[in-house]
Amino acid sequence: MLTASDAPAEATASPGSLDEPLLVTRNLERTFSGVRAVDGVSIDVRPGRITGLIGPNGAGKSTMLAMLAGTTPSTSGQILFDGRDVTRVPAFERARAGLVRTFQLSSEFKRMTVLENLLVSVPGNPGDSLTGALFARRKAKKFDREQLLVAGELLERFRMTSHADTYAGALSGGQRRLVEIMRALMARPKLLLLDEPMAGVHPRLAIEIGEHLIALKEAGTTVLMVEHELSIVDQLCDPVIVLAEGRVLAEGTMADLRSQQDVVDAYLIG
Amino acid sequence: MSLILESVGFGLITAAILAISAVGFTMQFAITNVLNLSYSGVMISAAFIAYGLNVVGLNIWLCLVMAGIYGAVLSFLLNRFIFRPFQRRNAGAVGMVIVTLAVGLVLTNLTLAFGGPDNVSYTLNNGPTFTAGPFVMTAIQLAEIALAIVTMLGVHALLKFTRLGKAMRATAANLSLARASGIRTERVIAITWLITGFLCGMAGTVFAMDSGSFGASSIALFLVVIIAAAVVGGVGRPYGAMAGALIIGVVMEVSASIISADYKEAVAFVILLLVLALRPEGVLVRTSRA
Amino acid sequence: MSNGTLYYLTTIFTYAAVDMMACLGLNLQFGVSGITNFGFIIYQAVGAYVAAVLSMPGDAANGGFQTYIGGLHMPFPFPWIGAALAGAIIAVPTGLVVRRSLRPDYAAVAMLVTAVFLNTFVNNFRPLFNGAAGLALVPAPFSGIFNSQSASYQVYYTLFALFLVGLVYLVVRLISESPYGRSLRAMRDDELTAGAIGKNTDKMRMTILLVGGAIGGLSGAMLVGFINLWAPSAWTYPETIVLIAAIIVGGRGNHVGAMFGALLVPVGFLEVTRYIPPFGPPGLVPALEWVVTGILILAFLWARPEGILRERRRRLAKFLPVQGPPPLLGSSGVDS
Repeated sequence: MLTASDAPAEATASPGSLDEPLLVTRNLERTFSGVRAVDGVSIDVRPGRITGLIGPNGAGKSTMLAMLAGTTPSTSGQILFDGRDVTRVPAFERARAGLVRTFQLSSEFKRMTVLENLLVSVPGNPGDSLTGALFARRKAKKFDREQLLVAGELLERFRMTSHADTYAGALSGGQRRLVEIMRALMARPKLLLLDEPMAGVHPRLAIEIGEHLIALKEAGTTVLMVEHELSIVDQLCDPVIVLAEGRVLAEGTMADLRSQQDVVDAYLIG
Repeated sequence: MSLILESVGFGLITAAILAISAVGFTMQFAITNVLNLSYSGVMISAAFIAYGLNVVGLNIWLCLVMAGIYGAVLSFLLNRFIFRPFQRRNAGAVGMVIVTLAVGLVLTNLTLAFGGPDNVSYTLNNGPTFTAGPFVMTAIQLAEIALAIVTMLGVHALLKFTRLGKAMRATAANLSLARASGIRTERVIAITWLITGFLCGMAGTVFAMDSGSFGASSIALFLVVIIAAAVVGGVGRPYGAMAGALIIGVVMEVSASIISADYKEAVAFVILLLVLALRPEGVLVRTSRA
Repeated sequence: MSNGTLYYLTTIFTYAAVDMMACLGLNLQFGVSGITNFGFIIYQAVGAYVAAVLSMPGDAANGGFQTYIGGLHMPFPFPWIGAALAGAIIAVPTGLVVRRSLRPDYAAVAMLVTAVFLNTFVNNFRPLFNGAAGLALVPAPFSGIFNSQSASYQVYYTLFALFLVGLVYLVVRLISESPYGRSLRAMRDDELTAGAIGKNTDKMRMTILLVGGAIGGLSGAMLVGFINLWAPSAWTYPETIVLIAAIIVGGRGNHVGAMFGALLVPVGFLEVTRYIPPFGPPGLVPALEWVVTGILILAFLWARPEGILRERRRRLAKFLPVQGPPPLLGSSGVDS
């Protein structure tokens, strides 16, 4: 369950095993139809932080996220997650290993209820196989009951309890976005890849999500977040990586970046 | 060896029929993104319409044209009142397969109901037989090949040199972009169905002509052969369909002389399955695999 | 009850059992998991053939007028077990056709083509299953001991068939209402996302194809054991369309709906034609039947695509704890 743990509150920049990057890419490239969407990107994502990924349209941010999640293959380069080379590992296995993403276009399961959406996202259910479904029914029920408690908490937190049994497809855009975030949280990720999580969400609920992300961070989850709203990035993200034209332009805190002229020119307006 | 060459000759005839059929089929896919499994239903009902006219004395070639007109009108109506509404309802790709399948079921069985269970034949004059080396063909068969060639040239001219053809190609390539650039896509689509429907009606009659004696169920297996020709050349590509028709037609007949005539269609089926399994975009398509 | 009425009832109930079982298998694949397997009839056909050649004596028997492989003269229940296994085995190559990377409509057409191809092949290749003539004199289970034509045998057969349908229903329901079923429905809804949350969709698809294949195979064994013959004309591709129609009409994703559809479409239609006097030339009434089937499919797809008995919503909110406990996350409790 998600509780505030004794995880280190401050992750300093000093080298050492505490600060081993959770995710590393080496010269990651993605070319299709002759276009270099991602052109040799090498980044580190350190554990216990919310790292922001920003950049102008077409900079390759979504492609990066897709390659990290495994839904798009890379043309060349390496991806290391938790010390393991996952470059050729399929998406579902990465998800099981703790590398989970949300999609830019809401992709909740429309013909399943909100609660079902949440339950289906939890890995390790003993009833989640053919043999489990037929022969491990009691264990599966117990597991489900436990997960329902966690789901109930999340529903409360995001004020969606009244929609527990609503089909996800019948919800509003903002509500669907919340379901997706909740689903990603149910999956108990080590690293959460978020693609514009606040897009289309009511400002008040955006605050809720932001608080939840901070709580997650403090509980030890690492987050890599693509976001356009710079105020959100300011509030939540440290460090921030700037991507432009498929390459890393700069990296640092928002304050650092604001002072770099080339970043300001490429992207930031004030 | 001469047996094989002779079967190449048969292959050309089959290819001719296939070409007219497959081009229509593939163009319907190009313009609406739907695999129209009712195509054979339209074909065979057109063949029977032609038969009905032929029986009362109309010349077979005129019957062919009338069948084409019937095919055009029917296909247009089918798209307007069944396929398009379902697509607007977001039936999905698989939903549309079921829809076209059901329509084909209705058409073929209505033909069976009205046409009767017995096989029929057209009254036509096969004409003199021509021999050129190992190839032996009747005048009618040569006419079928000539018709196919004329049709291919016509389609080519339409697509390449007319404004309508360019509009069709644009609509097939990217519907919203075509609409945005001022093309009246609804009209283009309707006309495409008329034209491909005409080809379909013609193809049905030619198929029946070549079969000698035919019934409502004769066409069932042939639909798969048409799909094979279209898929081999890349679904949605008219030139690919022409090439695919040639390949499938010849391979079918040559294999019939080598293996056995019973497995003729089976060869086409296997080719189709192999292509779908290994290279669904078509073997004649140059593609960069993303 | 007269013998004639009895035979009529046992026939209709056995056909109903066979169709219900087949529809349960197809529904598991298509209705629950979203696998566009339009060649489902293949499993039933393979099951029937395998059950036949396992239970029949060698093909020299009875004057040797039939040619077929097998002929192992095995006693019940081995032919039926073999049929289920054969259905599962032949599901493996079909899994190559309905794979993820192929557009679903291409996959659907490919499965139809496969069914047509296999039918053509078996029809022409006599050494396999006696070609177009098919297999006759297929022994019924325990036919050495009991008289398979007697009324009591027929009744027991029918009851046993219905019992097996009940078992299959239980299995299929266990699968779809379990966490595994949730994952299957997620795959049906959006396969890419299902993979992103850790579901191995390729494995799930192959598993369901195997299970559905076994069910289809068993239904074939049940049918051939009753009618004692089987031929390519019994499993042309329109027969798959009948099963699809049954599920569309009866209820997609709902197992009771699938069985209901089986009663309505294949069985119902069969029975309705008994009461219509055959008019017109021979074959007119069956042709019109097919016309009505086609129209029925279109009507339901248009007006009620989920079918008569819709898939039920799974209500889980009742299992949530009643509100009270404080939030377990260390937040500042901003709660406006």
